[in-house]
Order: sequence, then C-alpha cells, then structure tokens
Amino acid sequence: MTTGQDQPTESALHGLQVLDLSTSVAAAWCSRLFADFGADVALVEPLGGHPLRAHAPATEDGRGIPAEHLLANKRSLVLDLEAESGRELLRDLVTHADVLIESFAPGVLAGWGLDAETLEAIRPGLVVVSVTAHGQDGAYAALPGNDLTSSARSGWASINGFAAQPPLQATQYQGSYCTGVLAYAAAVAALHHRAVTADSGGPERPSPGDGQHLDISEFEVMASTFAPALLRAQYAGEVGARKETMDVTGGPVPVADGFFALTLSRAHFYRDAMSVLGLDDLADDEQLQEGWYRNEHRELWVDRVHTAMAGWSRRDLFDELGVRRVVAGPVFAMNELTDNEHLRARGFWVRADDDPEGPEHTGAPVKLSATPWRLRTRAPRPGEHTLALLGEYDVEEERVQTLLAAGVLVAEATPVTPGAPSMQRAPGAMR
Amino acid sequence: MSGPLAGVRGIVLTQAWAGTYCTELLAMAGADIIQLEVRKRPDSWRGTYATPMADAVAQVPTAEHPWNVNGLFNSVNLGKRSFTVDLSTPEGLAIYRALVPFADIVAENFSPRVVGNLGLSYEELKAIKPDVIVASLSAYGHDGPWANIPGIGGTIEPTSGMSALLGYPDGPPMNSGQMYPDAVAGLYGFAAIVTALHQRDRTGEGQYVDLSMQEANLANIGDSALQYTLTGEQRPRLGNRHLTFAPHGIYAVQPTAEGTRRWVALAAETEAQWAALCAVADRGWDTDARFADNAARKQHEDDLDRAIAEWAASEDRDALADRLSAAGVIAAPVLDSLEVSADPVLRARGVVIELDHPEAGRWPQVGAPFHFSKAVTKVERPAPLQGQHSLEVFREFLGMSDEQYEELLAKNITGEGPPQ
Repeated sequence: MTTGQDQPTESALHGLQVLDLSTSVAAAWCSRLFADFGADVALVEPLGGHPLRAHAPATEDGRGIPAEHLLANKRSLVLDLEAESGRELLRDLVTHADVLIESFAPGVLAGWGLDAETLEAIRPGLVVVSVTAHGQDGAYAALPGNDLTSSARSGWASINGFAAQPPLQATQYQGSYCTGVLAYAAAVAALHHRAVTADSGGPERPSPGDGQHLDISEFEVMASTFAPALLRAQYAGEVGARKETMDVTGGPVPVADGFFALTLSRAHFYRDAMSVLGLDDLADDEQLQEGWYRNEHRELWVDRVHTAMAGWSRRDLFDELGVRRVVAGPVFAMNELTDNEHLRARGFWVRADDDPEGPEHTGAPVKLSATPWRLRTRAPRPGEHTLALLGEYDVEEERVQTLLAAGVLVAEATPVTPGAPSMQRAPGAMR
Repeated sequence: MSGPLAGVRGIVLTQAWAGTYCTELLAMAGADIIQLEVRKRPDSWRGTYATPMADAVAQVPTAEHPWNVNGLFNSVNLGKRSFTVDLSTPEGLAIYRALVPFADIVAENFSPRVVGNLGLSYEELKAIKPDVIVASLSAYGHDGPWANIPGIGGTIEPTSGMSALLGYPDGPPMNSGQMYPDAVAGLYGFAAIVTALHQRDRTGEGQYVDLSMQEANLANIGDSALQYTLTGEQRPRLGNRHLTFAPHGIYAVQPTAEGTRRWVALAAETEAQWAALCAVADRGWDTDARFADNAARKQHEDDLDRAIAEWAASEDRDALADRLSAAGVIAAPVLDSLEVSADPVLRARGVVIELDHPEAGRWPQVGAPFHFSKAVTKVERPAPLQGQHSLEVFREFLGMSDEQYEELLAKNITGEGPPQ
C-alpha cells in the first residue's frame, strides 16, 4: 500500500519562499497548501495573533482548532504592520519572497505604500496573491463578506436545503476552502509563467521572469463551482429549486443505522439496486429503466424503495451494491472515517512529523507520485519562529532588538501558558 | 490561448464534472486542452443520445443533436477542443497513442479498471512520453481496498463526511443541491497538475497524480476532522450558524409581488459590524444585555435570530442588503440561479460571460474565476460540439489527409453523435 508520508523525495515547491499575510480561512488554506507541497511559509501574524486563532472550537488548553489545522506546516513571526517600522521590516522580508499571500480589505496594502506594483518593484518576479470576499475592484470590492455571503451571492444557498426551510449555505468554511485551493493553483500557474518568461533579458541582464498580481474573490470562486446549475437554469428558463422532501432521488434517506444515498444515475444502477433491495418487479419494469420516467413518476417506486432500504444497515447495503458496481453513499461521521480501512490503507490520516504524539490530521487531498504532500510541523505558537526567521533573513541583531523593545516585533520567549493567546484585535477586523 | 499556462497542452479523457472542471480550469488559464470523447459511451453530462433531455435547451430544437445542447456539459468544458476516436479499436487506440507525445498533461476520470483495460496507464503513457504528467481522478483513488468501488458526487458527499455536516441543526444529514464534491475534486486536480508542472519546470520530470474524490473532500473539511481527533466530538450540523460568531444566518424578507419567498444573509464578525447592524435595525439591540457582546449573542442566539427575523420580515431584500452592506455589515441577498447570471459585478469582472455556441446559442455562463495582472486570461471558445475538432486535431498533430480522415469516418473510428 502507498503510504505517501515516508517517500524520501524532494517536494515540488522546495526552495520556494512564501510570505503569508493571511487574515482569513481562504488565504490561510492557500498558504497551507504551499507549505504542504514543500514551500517555506513564513506566517506574519499581527500583535493579537492570527484572527483565526479566535475561531471556535478550542482545545482544553485554549488553542483554536481551526487555527491548529489551517496554520500547520508554517513558521510564525509576529510583526505589527500598523507601525511604520514594522512595514519597513516587511519590505526587507519581501526581498526574500517568491510569493506573498494577503487577504486584507482591498486598498489596505496600498494605504501602507505596499501595493502590488511596489511589492514587485522591491522583489522582481514576486507573485502577489490577493484573496478577498469580492475581489480587488468592482462595486462590491469594499463590502465585507464571508462564507455565508459567498453562498448567498453565488447561488449555492438557493439550491441547498429544503424548500420549506431557509436556504442553506455551503457548509461552514466551504467557500473559503475552495477559494484557498483555487488561489493556490492559480498562484502556482503564475510561477510556471514566471519560469517560462525567466532570463528573457539575456545573460547580461538575467531576469527572474514575470511576477504577477493575482486577484481571487471568494464569491466568484463559489460562482464558478455553481456553473452547471447556472447554465442549466438559463437553458431551462427556470431557476433551480431546493428539495421538497427527503427523498432518495435527492440525497441520503434513513436506513437501519443511519442515512444512505442511492444515486440511481445509470440504468444498471437502478436495476441492480432494485434487485438487491428485493424489489424485482421494479427492477424489471421496462418504463422505469429510463431516468426521466423515474423522475416524473416517483409515486411508482420511491416510497417502496425507502421502505426496503430501512431494513438495511449502511455497511451491508454498501458492500452488496459495491460488488455490483452500483454507486452508493453511506453517511459517515468522523469516528467512522478515522477508522475507515480504505483511508487507513492509503495512509490518509497523518500526524505532523514534529508532533508524533499529536492529533491525526486529514492528509493529502491529492497524491503526487514523485513529490508528495507532507505535513512536517504542527501549527506554530504566535511568534515561535520570529528570531529564527529574522536570523535566516540576515536582519541585523540590533534592529531586531530595537523592534522587540518597541513592541513592533514579538518573539515567543517561553512556551505560551495554557489559555487562549491574547486577542488585542477583534477577529476578522482586517477582512 | 492566453494566460499563465499558454503553451501547455493537455490531451485528456475527462468526463462528467470533476474531471472536466479540472481540465476546464487548465484551459481557462491558457492551456490547450484537447478532449477525447468516446462515442460509444458518451460523457454522461452530454446525456444519452436519446431524447427527452431534461437538461437541454428548452427554446431550441434539440432533436437533431441533443448531446451538443446539454447545459451540464456546456457549463464545464469552456475553452476546449473535442475529438472522437473509438478506443476499442486498435486503429483508434493507435491515434490516441500517436497524440500523446504532443501532450504535457493527460487527465482522466474513468474508474480505475477502465484505464488499465485501455492500455492508458501512467507506465504505458510514460513509455511514449517520458515527462508526461498523468492525472487520474476517481471516487476512492487507485489503490486500497475500495479502489474499484465506483462513486459520484452524490455518493462521495456522504462517504467523505460532508453530508454529515450539511443540514439544519435539528434535521437529517443532507447532500448539496448539486453534486458539490465534483467541484471540490476538480479544484484539487487543477492544483495537483500545476504543482506537477512546476516540478517538471525544475527537473524535467513528469509524475502521476492520484486523486481520490473522497480524500479531496475530506481534506476540504479538515478542521472538522481535527476537532474529532482532538476532542472526540463530531461537529454538529450548524445550518447557517457559525461556531464562533453571532448573528450569522439567512432570514426571510418580504416576498415578491408574485409570492416568491426571498431571503437575506447577514452576519457580524466584529463588534463594529454588530453596532452597524443595530444602527440599521434601530430596535434597541445595542442596549439589550442579551446581545452585549459576541459571547452573549452566541448564548442567546435563538432570541437574537427571532429578533432579526421579526425585523427583516417586512424589509425589501435588495434594499436591505444594500443598506447593511453600506453600513459595513456582512450581508448579501440570496440570489437564485437566474439572478446570479445577471449579477453586475460578475458581469463587469468577466466572470459571467456570454459565448456563441454553434447549436445552443448565446447564454450567460460562468467563465474563469481568477484574474492575473500580466498573463491575462480570456475564454474564447464555448464548450465544443462532440467531435467538432477531430479533423483539425488529426491534421495539426498527425498530418492526416482528408482522405485518411474520410476513411476513419467510414470505419466509424471517428465522427459525431451515436456511432452507426
């Protein structure tokens, strides 16, 4: 079996320096993927700690769990960008960076004299990735937004949930995760462009290649994932609607020990599933072989299928259908997924290399044979790597001490005592 | 082609949504994506060759080529070219293998056993093109005890842990309104392929990408998984609530004149946003002890939601969303699928575009969700007709003559629509 984690190969992004100014889930997931594929990610946290650290739930000793996940694999430097001397230091850090990821409200960086053009002038070839709710320009640019509004504006909320109840957002942080991975992929595509345009100045004037400012909007990414429903509605001349009832044609329905989805999207799925459920007359009914006919005549079969399914356990039904190559979906909770023999065999669940006694995390979202995803380190404490990073960047010791004394830089002197890190800034204030 | 991936070529066998979205993102970023379609087993998102077609254009005659006017297929294949060959014939397979040397990327989302049966495994493709990047998107990945169990978005949603999180707090687990796990898989497939491309830029070496839809989706709820491994607790279904912030919900507003219900989403993640909401509503919430700070509001969230719902019920949707947004509150109208296509920002920023499709006509649809400052992208092609570019592709890469092409047509090895 593949294990993914113990292949001693170099990572795809080895040697790449990423400066992570993220303040949101989406931008933090973007930089997390950079780290997972091998880049060296320096997380620049504000004095109060990364806003995500305040997100619930928290561990018994007060560490926010979303932050433990989204900030893992990065090194932390605490730097006050509201101070002029802090921004001066940032300019120096930018000279080492290949990629800068930020999620401030549009105009914040420019207001600090650090717009994308200036940043690229400081570091030719830099890829600046801006991840915001509504993008860098346009009528919504200045409006705050989050996962709830990206679902509302993209159309997803209008089709999630039951018709008689309110529309449902894509669950929890979904808009953010999708935006994070899209932003990551687009940024790596920009690095490819940089590579193919490199050295265009000739040997006398070697060029690092074209940098780029990448503008990624959470609501546009969710609109992209909504594309099929949008065009289907155009063609049909009517809007997509939420489900009227819980029905096997629309999602999971009750079985003996939980819920189970049976997506009868091909004729043989229908026939074989009816046969497994002991509904041979339905399996043999000629008209019901056609999907459109089944949809228009649910009264002929749906209730009987629900009744038959109710007697099955999820696992027995999944196994019986699986051998017949019928797609089937038992609803699993996390305790079942962490125990799942298939995910175990593929080495999906992992602990951070530096935290072998720590909790298991979700592993590679996708496996690359030569350059695997890897979780090297647990989430840092705020300022855990301030001194180490500044040393690597050759920042003069005297300057570091001056900034520390001024409270512009914070270095963790001793491990943080249990309890939440102090939150001097309201969470999300920078969005 | 323009964009950061200009000059990159994929010759791909993707279908339905996960695979086609992955390769569509490559195409929209500038890559030349050439889609192989197998006529004997048409892409399920083209539908079957028969009518009636639930997802086809209502207003145009669809009887002739219904497979070319399916809204599902046409929404996720922008920017690509399409050719057909019959891979079950030695001649057809030879054509495909002759095209592989021109490919930087091969991607497919057949079930694992199909690729092996066709002789198109990574090892075999690598023998033809040593630095090729091959990406497989499947339900459960290419190894492990479930490798041969099939799955689609509607079944991966439950088996990845997504469905257990989606739903109302007092309701059952649910699936999304539209096969959401496919989109997630497509995004990670895109990410993996460009990562492999970066590695090839550095070392000249290709590699194999094995994407399990179950794993990609489970990774997309990684913080919920970590909550379980750290605390032993399954995260509950939250509806539209947030674990940290209140208020955070979707509230009914005044229905339309025709009686259609409408909704506004609103949330406050900071005290400033809460104060702005209080000012807009002017219901004395700012002095209500139950709502004094975020912790108090979380504790009294049922009361808070009732108060907001009562206030919002008589408001006009768009006017309310505008007032809240202008005041700095997180707020948006809940738009339906037709309203989204008219959104002025999506239009102005070129995310919703209109392209002339030779059979379906001109419709608004969603294009590229990224904006590059220098390597500017532009979606120039609508989704291809099935086999639209067969001759063009055979000429361009294989130097095929019209006579040779006619012969392939006569033998049914290429063509358009159902094989004779």
